[in-house]
Formats: sequence, structure tokens, C-alpha cells
Amino acid sequence: MSVANRTSMSVKTTCPYCGVGCGVNLIDAQSENEGVPSVSGDVDHPANFGRLCVKGSSLAQTIQSDDRLLTPMVDGQPVTWQSAIDAVSTKIAQVVKDHGPDAFAFYLSGQILTEDYYVANKLAKGFIGTANVDTNSRLCMASAVVGYKRAFGSDTVPCNYEDLECCDLLIMVGSNAAWTHPILYQRIVAAKKQRPSMRVVVIDPRETATCDIADLHLAIKPGSDAAIFSFLLSDSAQAGILDHDFIASHTNGFASALAQANESTPCVSFTANFCGISEQSLTSLFGWWRDTPKTVTFYSQGVNQSSSGVDKCNAIINCHLATGRIGKQGAGPFSITGQPNAMGGREVGGLANQLAAHMDFATPGAQDLVQRFWQAPNMATENGLKAVDLFQAMEKGKVKVVWIMSTNPMVSLPDTAQVRRALEKCELVIVSDCKAHTDTTAMADVLFPATGWSEKDGTVTNSERRISRQRGLLSAPGDAKHDWWAICEVAKSLGFQAAFSYQGAHDIFAEHAALSAFENEGKRDFDIGHFSRITKAEYDALVPVQWPVPEGRPQGTKRMFEDKRFFTPDGRARFVAIVPSLPKVQASQEWPFTLNTGRVRDQWHTMTRTGDAASLAKHTAQPYVEIHPREAKRLGIQDKSLVRLTSPYGEVLLKAKLSRAVAPGNVFVAIHWTQQFANASVVSNLIPQVVDPLSGQPESKHAQVQLEAVSDICYGMIISATPLVLADCLYWCQVPSTQGYHYEVVWPNRQTQASLRAMDTEHPHGKVGKTQWLEYSNPITQQIRLAKLVNQTLTLLMYLHPQPDSVMADWLLSTLTMNTPLSAQDRLAILVGMPANIEEKGDIVCSCYQVGSKQIEKAIVNGISSVDGLGAKLKCGTNCGSCLPELKRFLPTVTELSA
Amino acid sequence: MPSLISQSQRGPVNQVDKRRLVIVGAGMAGSKLAHDLQQACGHLYQITLIGEEPHVGYNRIMLSSLLAKEISHADMALVDTQKMQADGVQILSSDPVLSLDLEAKTLHLSSGQAIAYDQLVLATGSRASLLPIKGASASNVMGFRTWQDVDDMTQLTGSQSICVIGGGLLGLEAAVGLVKRGHKVVVFHRAQYLLNRQLDEESASLLQTRLEQMGIAFRLGESPESFAQADDGRVSHVVCQNGEQLAVNLIVMAAGISPEITLGKAAGLATNRAIVVDGQMQTSHPDVYALGECCEFEHQTFGLVAPIWTQINVLMKVLVGEKAAFAIEPTPTKLKVSGVHLFSVGRIQPSDEDSCIFFKDVGAHHYRKLVVNDGLLVGAILYGNVADGSWYFQLIQNKTNVSDVLDLLVFGEAYCRAKVA
Repeated sequence: MSVANRTSMSVKTTCPYCGVGCGVNLIDAQSENEGVPSVSGDVDHPANFGRLCVKGSSLAQTIQSDDRLLTPMVDGQPVTWQSAIDAVSTKIAQVVKDHGPDAFAFYLSGQILTEDYYVANKLAKGFIGTANVDTNSRLCMASAVVGYKRAFGSDTVPCNYEDLECCDLLIMVGSNAAWTHPILYQRIVAAKKQRPSMRVVVIDPRETATCDIADLHLAIKPGSDAAIFSFLLSDSAQAGILDHDFIASHTNGFASALAQANESTPCVSFTANFCGISEQSLTSLFGWWRDTPKTVTFYSQGVNQSSSGVDKCNAIINCHLATGRIGKQGAGPFSITGQPNAMGGREVGGLANQLAAHMDFATPGAQDLVQRFWQAPNMATENGLKAVDLFQAMEKGKVKVVWIMSTNPMVSLPDTAQVRRALEKCELVIVSDCKAHTDTTAMADVLFPATGWSEKDGTVTNSERRISRQRGLLSAPGDAKHDWWAICEVAKSLGFQAAFSYQGAHDIFAEHAALSAFENEGKRDFDIGHFSRITKAEYDALVPVQWPVPEGRPQGTKRMFEDKRFFTPDGRARFVAIVPSLPKVQASQEWPFTLNTGRVRDQWHTMTRTGDAASLAKHTAQPYVEIHPREAKRLGIQDKSLVRLTSPYGEVLLKAKLSRAVAPGNVFVAIHWTQQFANASVVSNLIPQVVDPLSGQPESKHAQVQLEAVSDICYGMIISATPLVLADCLYWCQVPSTQGYHYEVVWPNRQTQASLRAMDTEHPHGKVGKTQWLEYSNPITQQIRLAKLVNQTLTLLMYLHPQPDSVMADWLLSTLTMNTPLSAQDRLAILVGMPANIEEKGDIVCSCYQVGSKQIEKAIVNGISSVDGLGAKLKCGTNCGSCLPELKRFLPTVTELSA
Repeated sequence: MPSLISQSQRGPVNQVDKRRLVIVGAGMAGSKLAHDLQQACGHLYQITLIGEEPHVGYNRIMLSSLLAKEISHADMALVDTQKMQADGVQILSSDPVLSLDLEAKTLHLSSGQAIAYDQLVLATGSRASLLPIKGASASNVMGFRTWQDVDDMTQLTGSQSICVIGGGLLGLEAAVGLVKRGHKVVVFHRAQYLLNRQLDEESASLLQTRLEQMGIAFRLGESPESFAQADDGRVSHVVCQNGEQLAVNLIVMAAGISPEITLGKAAGLATNRAIVVDGQMQTSHPDVYALGECCEFEHQTFGLVAPIWTQINVLMKVLVGEKAAFAIEPTPTKLKVSGVHLFSVGRIQPSDEDSCIFFKDVGAHHYRKLVVNDGLLVGAILYGNVADGSWYFQLIQNKTNVSDVLDLLVFGEAYCRAKVA
């Protein structure tokens, strides 16, 4: 992209990854020669004050992707926007006419901007006439939304990030923030370091990196979280720490909630047994809870992604209401979202069970209010289909047109086979994306090229209700357009010109703000009326601010419920009686292992963006299943070997990672790998479509599976100058790299022989024309390594071994693009895997400085005994700090070895 | 009756008590022994070195380099014979020993001299094996053993057609030297591939390709049927087994060597293929020692320089009454042809219990094969890049356990060191 195409030299924007919503400076290259733009943390942004995690730090690497979708496509053919829009609107009009408005659906994303969300919601609910507007946020925080709404009458996050720093007890439930929300976690780490009396409790079935700062880790039985908070409520009553005044004056339903808690979790021993933990650890938690008014309970997907996610949320909120630990500094139930704009989606009402601007269909007068505001001709009148229901309806033929925007349901929704059947059945699948190739674009009839981060312009809201501008610096490549523009063009083509002719993103934002304030008068929590008449200049200058920002309160609102007034009709918060329940599917003889899912440190979602940053693949190059060593031994599974996981819904192939972080009987699989990166590792294949009855959020963190070591196979690593079709592989994984193509593969043994024979036939004497083959074979270790050189330059390299093995691929990849012929030393080195003088790094632990496990072990053997010492020597852990928990784990391990 | 020349008559007065040590054979083994012994214990021995060649004390290994014009005559010296003589070593050249009388402890020389000794060392070396081929005794059929042979070859003018019989080390060195001198050379080799005692088929094929590029033609798996002689008695054609006739000007026989044991055998020393010695290099007669290519120890004869140097060291110790014993160790082979790097040591034909690790880079003419048995390296072939040869040799000699570096072993010392470090 040339400099001329760029609009300005630097902008303040926000990170497109997790819900922390860090401020990012996006800086254009100073000259054309310097190539790609760079990023740095925005010191003025209140989410991060200048810090960025490794994913955010690597954003610049993701900007120039070679897999951008650049032009609209209809049935695989590039077309103009106009003809694509015509095709789409014609079909929408036809199915709505023939089958009613509910034959159409949007499936949106927590990654699109508030303005995109707003026009999609408006088009569907007000103009097409369906509430079938759901989003991947359904998979992420729908339970938290319903939990808040049940308790507060509104979807209101009470807390802010400062509360995490100034609380005295932080209970982190179902959150591996160290990896999923690294900057927030680092803020907590820094606070605890400054104030060591601050206690941190982690409740998680796994011993995650977050446990690094935990004073107490409760490794509960998966899904049993609610019991802890149920007992906490009983215990608070018994211990006399209830805030009776608050309960009496500002809440309803306490008595029945307490009675249910007393019945559900009658004693410590019952609760400990239900959760599978020791009484002692529970007692410690209760003791700290009793003594610590300034407590924040911080929860995330481990709570939400559950068949009883809403109840878990309310079990937590009950405890805070009962003790008055809400609406105060350093106290409150704090749900943290996974996506950069899940909150923005909630604010516009971009979910099937919301109407708009924090109003529901059931909210008295809301439909009329919104209809009048929008001047809407076809108002939807009731909730639409939530994600899982939506795809089930699609399979049944009820939804005939779906517009999927910026998300990857083929990977993220449970039961991939069902999602495939649904999309195959759907008559028109429209996918808006900036990527040409995703598991979902592969299913599309129409593709709309979308602008991506660094090009998009609009607003997002982070987990502490802070609205920030995401600003575009680079102009859109090819025919890529903003999502709001595409929606509005389709709306206009459907005949709704007047309602969808916006001047720009600021115009949409102003309308959104106006709707939030429309006849509000303090009735609704979400009010950003201050921005109702915002100009483009003011919009462009918008500084991060926490809503509500009603007319006359431009500074926004730091913390909610300080006035103890809630958004229920009577202004009182509601207790909810909770019966703790375990996940729907339980272990059986046939499906003995409990599967948990989650993220790895350096990837985000389905890798459509982080997969472009080669350095982020170093921490975890391949999809894996974490399994307890005892179980692995019993099943004959070696570390790094290939394992088949089967559930009633499908199977996946993953590399084993032996770890005591998971309990025996449990396994953990990361969610990120799609078929673009690995042929058989999409974990949603295994997950049943079990959802929370209230929120519709799938129990994506829970499945029952069997495990099996895959035998009679040969492991391999392939490095190639060109992309390869690896159809004969049992398993392949493409590891992102800056140069060439790096694959980790597994062949069935018989196939290996055939593949090698084929190669032999192709090149009978090791040299044909300008092609040369190099070979290393070692029957003792059963290694075979082959290199293909064309004109003395490496083009293909294959390492085969009977055992899983890790080879340092970086240097090998760099040799691919050497334009000079390989030196004599390098011709040896490419079959070794490294030049003789290069230090073997091992697995990368610190992504910022690319420091590996072997370097760390060596430094420790040479006398370094602290994380600080490692940082001083190797720089590891001194930038983003997200590897610090891992660095700490090196210290005792190596000491044991040398002792 | 030749006169007996005694030390007392000829040597300096103060050497009257020295023992008379006579070395028969002034090749590399004999010359070096004489030189080293004079240096180390010239006060104990009056040393006489007798050679049949006019040149004494030259480095026979360098003959191929001399033939290939890579070095000059001045570079040929193995020892400084002038200094040796000045130090008291008596050197008799161009004077073959005709007979040995073990009883009388006397040697009779071609010149008529008789030399008495107290102790005798036979270092009579070997000669090119002459194959029993019709016409092999013609005047233009020669070996490739001596400086004289090289001088003779050097005399050839123009571009002659030369047939080398034998694709072993010696034959290939001769062939390269001759091709470099502008001659047309064809090599007959009885085995299916070159250097079949040092290489395997794959490395031999690389070598053959390289030598063919230099201009040498090969006939593998083939021995000449006969040498057709012209009227002047010189061989004019090599008759192949298929009847084909190749016109030749010269034939160089390099089909192996035979230990030169005529003298010792006639004197009654125990011989087999060569003169049988024990670990102290002593023959069946207590005052007679043998070393070098003419000796046989534990049913082995010796053609490479390394074990012979070891034999010299052993014998020197024995002669001064120290304990020493010769033992056979693997010896690396290198081909002395410029531009061709080849190294072979130990057991290169694997037995059933052995495993072979390969590195093959045909395009770069680089090949490695390591033979490993039970954690030990037992043999190696390196072709193209032999830098790690001596390291592998050490691993074999020291019986170093290589189990921990099996996956790096074939890539050489630098990688294995890096792993250990």
C-alpha cells in the first residue's frame, strides 16, 4: 500500500482483541520504504495507560494480510458491489414476502463496531421486521447479561477497572485473565505487589497461569461454581455480615434466596464434596470473605459458558447484594467480556432477546418507543432466535437467508457438523469478512469484503462501560467497505432510503445516542444522550468515557449503583434463589473424560487475525489437549503425541500436552485452531448444543469425550516455499510463519512409505536438472529428513520421525528465502535444523523477546535464581509480562533437577 | 670373500661399544626408523641404512602429488639424510641386499659388501603385485611404487594412452597424476565399484563421477584378458574380456601390493603372507625385527603409514629395553588427489548388528555414512567434506559412547559439541 493511500500519520485507536479495550497508537510508516505501520500502547487510555500485551504489541504484523477479501463475490465469482447488493436485497425481499421476516437473520459479532451493530439491529428489528439478530457474543457473555438483568433490571456492569486494584479480596471465577485479559491481569499483579495484603482467590478447575498470583486456588469440579456462592450466602448470614439495611431498603427476594441457599448447600462438607475440593480451602475463602468488605468477584467464560450460567452469575451477585458489596469502591460483581465490543452490541440491543438501547421487547412501551424513534414500518414484536436456536432453525429450513458478519460460527458454535448442515441448507448465506478464507467464508454464497482493524472507524465499549473510538488510519484495500455501509446499502436497496442514509459513522453514533436518551428520563441505565448531536469533529476527537453519559453529565459515570437505585420497576435489586447444578452432560463409561475449553496466551478467537502474526505462533504452535500425566500413562499417550478425541458429535486430532494443571479425568483443549490452520482440530466438533435455558449461551466449556492414542503413525515437519496440499496426511497443522509455509504433519505409516516412494520415482538419482535432493537417514532413531533444492535454493524440507519431535523451524524458514545458493555448511544445517553456531531456544516462552525454554533452563543452571534475574539476563518477561507466571514455573523445576 | 666391515674399524673411537643396528630397506619405514633412532639413542647404536633405490628417505606417499605436478622434488624428503649421515648414520643406497646369514649375523650386498650386525631390522616394504596376465612382463608394463617409476612416467611426452590396472588408492592416484599430465587414462578395476575396500557403492559412485569429470575412463568389474605385444615386445593393445582392443602406450599395474619378503624367507625367518612378527616387532629370530609393509602381525599386513609409524615407536622402545607392544587399530584412509576429499575408517561394511546413518547431498558431492554398533561408532565413510574425519576417528579409537548424540552424529563435531555444551 502506498503512502498516498494513507490518510494521516498516526491515530489513537483501540485494540481489536479482548474486552479490556486497551488504547493503541497506530503509527504509519514514516516513508514508503519502511513498510508496515507500527503500534504502541496509548499512555492516555485509562484501560491500559500505555501497556500492551503480546497480542496487542503484535498488531502491526496482522495489518498486511495476503488473504484479504478484496471484492464482493457471488457464487464464487467476483462482482461489483451494486450487483452483489442487488442479489442480496432481491433474495431478502423474496423470502420475507414468501416466508415472513423471520426467514431472515443476522449473525453478528462482538468484533464489529457499535455503529455497524446499530444499523444491523435497526434494519432487522424495525424495517425487515425480525428480531433474528444474534451474535457471537451469545457464546461469550449472554449469561452475564441475563444475570445482571435479573438482579438489577438492566444489563449494567457495576464496576470499573480501578475496583480491581483497590479491592482487598479479588475472587476470580472461571477466568484465566493472565492469558485472556493480560493487561487487566498485569494491573492486578501490580496492585498486589504494591499492597501485598490484597488477597487473590482463583476458582477454576484448571491450575492456570492466573493462579500465579493466587493466595488460594480452588480447583473445583467443572461447572460446580454456583455451590460455592450459594454457601457463601448462607455463611454470610450465619456469620452476621449481612448488610441488613441495604437488603431491607434496596432489594427484594432475600429470604427465599437465603432459604434456597441453606437448602442447596447446607454445610461446608456438602459444598466441598459437591465442588470436589477440600473443606479447608473452602473455609479459607469463607474466612476471607467474611473479613473483607472490599471484595470484587471477577468472572468470565468459566461462569458464563454453562447450562446454568445465569444462575451462577446470580449466585455471585446474591452474595454481593447480601453484604452490600456493590456500588462501592473496590466492591462488586464484575463480569469481564471476551470481545472488544461485546458491550457495544449489548448497548444497541444487538441480541435476539433485546430490542434496542437496553430495552427489551417485554419492556412496557419499548416497542412503541423504538418504533416512533425509528419511524419503523415493520417492527418486530418478540424475541428472535438465539445463536444455537438460529442455526437449528436454519437446518429446519425456517431461516432461509443469513447474513454472518465478522465471525466464524463454523468454528465457534458447538457441534460443527450441525452448523455445517444448517449453512448447507440455508438458501442464501452472506458473509462479510476481511478475510477471504475462513471456515465460514467457505460456506458462503455471497461474500462482502469488509474493512478491518486499522481501516474501520467507529466506537467500541470495553468491559468497564468505557466507550472509545476505534479509528482508521489506512484506507480500505480493494473494494473493501465498512460493515455499516454495506448494511445501509442493502437497506436502501430494500426501499428504506430515508432511514439508512447516514453521513458517516458519527451520524449513526449520534442517532444511537439519541435513541438511548429518547424518553429515558433516568428509567434506563444506558443513556449517552450527551452525544445526541455530536458533530463529526467532536466524534473524531472523542476521548474514552464510561457510560452513562446523559445530557449534562459529559464526564460519564465511573461506578454504577452508588445511589443504591436499580433499574427494576421498584428500583430495588433482586435476589434470585439458586439451585446449584452441574453441567448437563456427565461422564459415562463410554465418554469418561470431561472436556474443558479455553484460550492460549498468544492467540485470539479463531486466529483470523492473530494467525497472521508469526511471532504469536511460537508460544503454542499446534492445537493440543492438556491431559494429566497419570491418565496419559494409562492410555499410552506420550507428550506431544497425536491423540484422537471423540464425542457423540464428532472427533478431533490433537497433540498431547501432559500437565498436572488439569485434574485426572479432565482434559483441556484450546479453541483457536480452524481448518485454515489444522485439518482436524476444531474442538467445537465435540461440543453438544447444550445451552443455558435463560441466556441461550452454549455450555462450550463442557463436553464428555473419549481419548485414544493414535498409533502406527509417522510424525513430520514440512517447510515449503509454496503452500502445499497435504491431502494424504492424517493430521496437519500450518504454523504461521513470516517466510514460507511451515506444517506439522502426521502420516499413517503406510502412507509415509508411499509418499517417499513417490518422491523417489520423481527423482531417481537425487538430481534431476536443477533439482537436487538431500537426505539424512538414521535407522537407530528412525529419522528421515529430505531437502529439495532448486537452483541451489531450498524449496522443500521434510523431517520425518517416529516420535513427536520439535524442531526449531525459524532458521529453516529463513533459509527458504535466501536468494543466494546455500553454503556448504547450510546444506548440512538444513538437515540438522539449525546452523552449528546457533543456540537452541526450545519452545518460546517470552513472545515479546522470543526467549525460549532451553535458554531459560540454561540461565538457571548457570546460577540465575529469580524472575528478575532472568529478565536482566535474557529480557524475558520485561515487556508485556504475560510470560511471568510461566517463567516462575521454571525456577523450582530446574532447581529440582539440579538438586 | 668380501671383507667384514666392523663398527670398530669405521666408527668413531667413542662409539666402540655401540651395538651395530642394520636396517634393510631405505623406504619410509626404514628411513624414519634410522632417523628417529639416531635422534633418540644414537649413543647406543651404530646405525646402517641400506636401500636398493638410489633415493633414500623420501616420502613415498607424495609420489602421486609429484606425478600430478602438485609438488616438486624438493618437497619429497621425509628425513634429512645429509644430517643423518653427519650424525653418524651410515647410508648405503642403490645396493640391494642379496642374502642374509642369520647364523653369521651378516648381510651380503649386491655391491659385494658384507655387513655384520648385532641387531637387524627388515623394512623391505612391498612391490606392486603383477597380475598373471599374458604380456605383463613387457617393458612398458610398470608399477607405481618408486621415485624412479614417477621419473619414468614424467619422461612420457605428448598425450599417451595409458591403462591403469586397479581402481584402489594407488591406481587412482596414478591415474589422476597421469591425466593431469595430459595423458589419456583408462582404469580397469576388478570390483564393481572403485576403492571397494574403503568405500561403499554410493560414495564410490560420487568419486567415479568426479574422476570421470577429470577425464579418466573406467572399466569396472573387469580385468584385462591379455596384453597384446607388438613386434618390439612392448604392449600395444589391452585385450578386453569382450574381445575389444584398446591401443595403449603404457600399462601401470596398481592391482595391489605384495610384501617383499624374499630376503627374510630365504634366510629362514617364519613367513606367511609377510614376515611374521610379534608385538615387539620381533621375527622368529631374536636378533631380527621387521616392520612396515613387509611384516605381518596377527595375520594382518600393513599398507598405510599410521600403523607403521606406531610400529617404529614400538620398536624404538624395544631396542632401548622399554616395554612396548604393537596393537592393531583402525586406520583412516584418505585419497591423495587434489579436489577429491575422501575419508574412510573402520568397519564400513556393516554387519547384521550394525546400523548405518547416512547423509547424502549428491548435488554438492557430499556423502557421509557412519556405522554404529551398540552406542559406539565403528566405521565411517566421508566423501566431499572430510573435516570431521579425524574426530570420527577419535570417537572410534576412544570407543566414545555416542548414544546421546545419535541424531547429530552424522553432522559432525560442531553440532555434537554444541549439544553437549
